[in-house]
Amino acid sequence: MNPDRTARPAEPSSAIHLKGRTIPLAAGESVLEGLERAGIEAPSGCRAGTCCKCMLQGEDPPAMSQRSLRPTLRAQGFFLACQAYPIGTLELSSGEAPEPIDTVIQSVEAVAPDVARILLRPEDSFAFRPGQYLDVLHPSGALRSYSIASLPSDQVLELHVRRIANGLVSSWIHEQNEGQRVQIRGPFGQCFHVADDEQKRLLLVGAGTGLAPLLGIARDALEQGHKGSIKLVHGGLQPDRLYMRPQLSELAETWPNLEVEHCVLREATEQEHEGPLDQVAIRLAGSLENTRAFLCGDAEIVRLLQRSLFLAGISSAEMFADPFSPASP
Amino acid sequence: MTLYERLGGEPAFQAAVDDFYRRMLTDERVSRFFDNVDMDGQIAKQKAFLTYVTGGPAAYTGKDMRKAHEHLWSKGLGDEHVDVVIEHLGATLIDLGAKAEDVAEVAELAESVRKDVLGR
Repeated sequence: MNPDRTARPAEPSSAIHLKGRTIPLAAGESVLEGLERAGIEAPSGCRAGTCCKCMLQGEDPPAMSQRSLRPTLRAQGFFLACQAYPIGTLELSSGEAPEPIDTVIQSVEAVAPDVARILLRPEDSFAFRPGQYLDVLHPSGALRSYSIASLPSDQVLELHVRRIANGLVSSWIHEQNEGQRVQIRGPFGQCFHVADDEQKRLLLVGAGTGLAPLLGIARDALEQGHKGSIKLVHGGLQPDRLYMRPQLSELAETWPNLEVEHCVLREATEQEHEGPLDQVAIRLAGSLENTRAFLCGDAEIVRLLQRSLFLAGISSAEMFADPFSPASP
Repeated sequence: MTLYERLGGEPAFQAAVDDFYRRMLTDERVSRFFDNVDMDGQIAKQKAFLTYVTGGPAAYTGKDMRKAHEHLWSKGLGDEHVDVVIEHLGATLIDLGAKAEDVAEVAELAESVRKDVLGR
């Protein structure tokens, strides 16, 4: 008899792995119960898959434990620990904030009187989904969040930065030159394309630099072969606030299922629709059947868009919003 | 079997909460209480409320309910507004397939939440 073979305990059929520690799960034991038994602090509430307080992130969690979550959360491996009965070992994310990485400025281009289009070349690997955002770290330690307009395949990070009066970080980054180093960390955010239904109509509405995430989301959907119509409505106070129009026109010419519309509150020319952005977007959208909406810009306008589109019939589960909040001084 | 289960459980309530919230937002008697609120957060809370009052699994406590409404007490939140909520709750559940006696039962349970909502 080989003592080595008999002495070794049977390989557990289910387990969770967290920060170098493996916690075997008993038969019929959920991830939440396993964590609690191991003395690891894990928030929980209803323990029946509705309240979402026990949400965790991991690699390929069981589909059942992701059932009631939004597609963007599912795509990032979020799941409900109380509903998770993994087969094999489930690797849990540590939940720690991402480390800063270095980038080099490739260009700073003025695209509107107060908006610069900044291209950064990351010096380390930086995985993200277009439409997510990152933090730019100012040498003083201050940080500001900006959405990503480019695709991973572009190999640069494109940000649209509006210069805020007396804004510490926005003024600083507007004055940077090619070749200078900027630290970033991320990505963050739940506003991005998930290719779960290629026929869905996508309605992208944003004001000001809310264009940045929308541009990333539209390009991402198109590159991933989205077949349904994609309508992008960019809003601003008056025509000169709407920027990167040549690039948007070119994109719409390249992709037959993409339409780009412009909307202003005043002084519209033949190139723009005039009126409140929420009302114009609803009118331009036509049918809201099988529609997913992405709404980006300052928090106030995003809240208005969310409410108006919800009342017009888009389901709350199909609205992805990225409200920009001003930095606290 | 709870009413929650009979009406279709979580997937059915995902759609029902949209219906319920649309009724509240378009009712002038209560819509002002929802100005400037985070919609995703509201939907999650209202889903928990609908789940709780129909006997489904919800982590719902009176303390949470008080905390969620205390900023509205100074804005005049009163019994008449709780009545509106119960009215829309009933209409939503009927649309979802509930019977009149189910709705009466739910209304009774929702009634017990009144003192927490109004801070009594």
